[in-house]
Amino acid sequence: MAADQIRVALIGNPNTGKTSLFNMLTGLRQRIGNYSGVTIEKKTGIWSLPKGQDVELIDLPGTYSLSASSLDERIAVDVLAGHGQSDQPAPDLIIVVVDVENLRRNLFLASQASELGVPMVIALNCWDVAEKKGLQIDCKLLEQRLAVPVVPTVAKYQRGTQELAEAVERAIDTRPMLVRPKWPEPVQKALDLLHQELVVERGESLREGELQRLIFDRKSAVRERLKSPAQEYEPLIKGVRDKLYQDGYQPDAAESLLRFRFLNPLFNDILERQALVKERSKSEGIDQLLLHKFWGLVVFVGMMYVVFQSVYTWAGPIMDLIETSVGWAQEIAANALTATPMLQSLIADGIIGGVGSFLVFLPQILVLFFFISILEESGYMARAAFLMDKLFQWCGLNGKSFVPLLSSFACAIPGIMATRTINDNKARMITILIAPLMSCSARLPVYLLLIGAFIEPKYGSAVAGTVLFVMHFVGALLAMPIAWTLNRTLNKGRKPEPFVMELPHYRIPQIQHTFFRMYESGKEFVMRAGTVIFAMSIIIWTLLYFPRPAEVESAIANDFGYAQTEDTHSLEYEESIHGKLANRVDAALLEQSYMGRFGEFMQPVFAPAGYDWKITVGVLASFPAREIIISTLGITYALGGEVDEASDDLRTTLSNAKWEHGKLAGKPVFNIPVALSIMVFFALCMQCGATLAVIAKELNWRWAIASFFTLTGAAWVAAVLTYQIGILFV
Amino acid sequence: MRLDQIKKDGRFRVKALDCDNECIARLMYMGLLPGQEIRLVHEAPLGDPIAIEFNGCQMSLRIADAAFVEVESL
Repeated sequence: MAADQIRVALIGNPNTGKTSLFNMLTGLRQRIGNYSGVTIEKKTGIWSLPKGQDVELIDLPGTYSLSASSLDERIAVDVLAGHGQSDQPAPDLIIVVVDVENLRRNLFLASQASELGVPMVIALNCWDVAEKKGLQIDCKLLEQRLAVPVVPTVAKYQRGTQELAEAVERAIDTRPMLVRPKWPEPVQKALDLLHQELVVERGESLREGELQRLIFDRKSAVRERLKSPAQEYEPLIKGVRDKLYQDGYQPDAAESLLRFRFLNPLFNDILERQALVKERSKSEGIDQLLLHKFWGLVVFVGMMYVVFQSVYTWAGPIMDLIETSVGWAQEIAANALTATPMLQSLIADGIIGGVGSFLVFLPQILVLFFFISILEESGYMARAAFLMDKLFQWCGLNGKSFVPLLSSFACAIPGIMATRTINDNKARMITILIAPLMSCSARLPVYLLLIGAFIEPKYGSAVAGTVLFVMHFVGALLAMPIAWTLNRTLNKGRKPEPFVMELPHYRIPQIQHTFFRMYESGKEFVMRAGTVIFAMSIIIWTLLYFPRPAEVESAIANDFGYAQTEDTHSLEYEESIHGKLANRVDAALLEQSYMGRFGEFMQPVFAPAGYDWKITVGVLASFPAREIIISTLGITYALGGEVDEASDDLRTTLSNAKWEHGKLAGKPVFNIPVALSIMVFFALCMQCGATLAVIAKELNWRWAIASFFTLTGAAWVAAVLTYQIGILFV
Repeated sequence: MRLDQIKKDGRFRVKALDCDNECIARLMYMGLLPGQEIRLVHEAPLGDPIAIEFNGCQMSLRIADAAFVEVESL
């Protein structure tokens, strides 16, 4: 990006239509990234002004103030002051997106931002709503009083963008500044003193607005950026604040009081008419039902049921389609590469199989983000959080964790991506870390197979159904103490973000925003498939494929050769023999592979849970994706890789499997405690490379690794306990 | 009277706020200041959190935080 490119920052309260304005101005020319060091999403895009100039537009997180106590606010201050990423100077212009209906509150933010000394343009958004409600705001008058251009816009219908672009073009040259309050003498003195001490004497690079943050905010994040040692600036700031208090200005309250006192006269006459419209709003009427103590919950449960069901069922056919296509692609690749068996296996099984089994989740992601977008934009998401909040308070979470956790029952990946709607970073972290414990759909095949093979035949379908139901909540049960502990230990010093949430007016969602949201999440997901997942697939394939000693195949072929000669060969028989031979070879090669040897080596670790080496290999091979266990068990018990959970063959084979040696030799490998132990292991274990990759992306690799070991350890303990207690009853 | 004690019907005015509470400090940035008219619009099913209306917007906050706002009946 050219160093001399004009940069424009977009700020505004949440729910002002800031993001839709951003999307509209930049179209698909956007980039999503994280602010350095933190995981709040950052978007930049290119906006072409009418005269042909391209400017970089930066979308800042929606905030109500710049008090820099929450992460969002801190980022906003840093970026606006030019202290964000090391190489980025302050933006050349700020566009403040203001919701006409909440002029007073929105202009407070604009006023705070103006203290950073950056030119400003105000976009009065949702102009249509104001017009409809008979709200007439004299833009020219407002413009005169505020001393910056005020442009009415309707982001929804793309109205006013041309005017906004022209105003921005002019403002780049004229650099208009918002009127700033004149502080009472004690406040001004405090500011001057701090300027002298920090900027003049210690050479800190601080703008006036940042000095204000140091004075007015009790725990300003601006402090963390100071170069001087804490023992120097802490007493300094404390002294200034104490002095202010003695002068009759409570520093924590002073800013709001003084700023609103300054702002109110500027538009109080303009707002008088606004007061007339502010009777009971339509939204409040709707909320009489949706937030009702009983009916509100009924609607909520119904709504969540629909979302959850849709993620499950709508995505189903498309997932099948992807699966079929992957199978197809594998076949084509396999046929094309028969001459080079190793390359054939790498491409067909390793890469296409591995990446394909990840891409299968794409439809679920799209469906979930379809709903999330609608729930958020309509304003219902805030209501859902409002209804659920109490249930989550005790472990440091809040109501906003509900939807991500619920979607994790379909798949943890979209669930973890959905945590971006949680603005409390600690709550978001906890939600991400417990999301993999929600029983995702990939665990279902494992449950179905084992319950079908061992529970149902013995206890009937009622018990089988109950076990299936219970298995779905084993993880959630463990999630509770984990969430509680994380809340106690994580960032001990930091209190959770205060839970203040706006219940915005209901709005009809815009279909183009919904599709945009789906496109964004889908794109990000597919990109990951191309990188991390691609690499992991190759590694796992290598471990399962090599070293592949040649003598294995011939030894087994010889074995079969003898048996074969004595029989008459019908074609059918011939084929089944070939199939069996291939299966036996596959099984033997798997046993000889690095993964197989590792499995045998690791078997003693899993012996207390009742697993033989074959189950151990299955468990180990399933770490990239848990559904692999089914095909791996198929291979190790010599059925061939092409099995699924309903395959009767696999069920019978498992029931007939006997220990080969050791003190249990001749006894069946699988009994009910073993089956339960495997299910419990799968319910808790972090066997999903894709989820790990997403956690690493949303938090960092350290957390991904920590969560891997914690959950795997917990799974092992629980599996051992299940087995050991189970055998007491058998 | 404190904000966590008020009933749904009726209008109230903010008398004093304790800005030591971070939640309240935030609401102050949104214009919840002494003298501001305010009313309770919703209570969540378990009685917590609550939603209040002032200045034409609805904000939800937890009961524990609401106790830091002193109000008087109008």
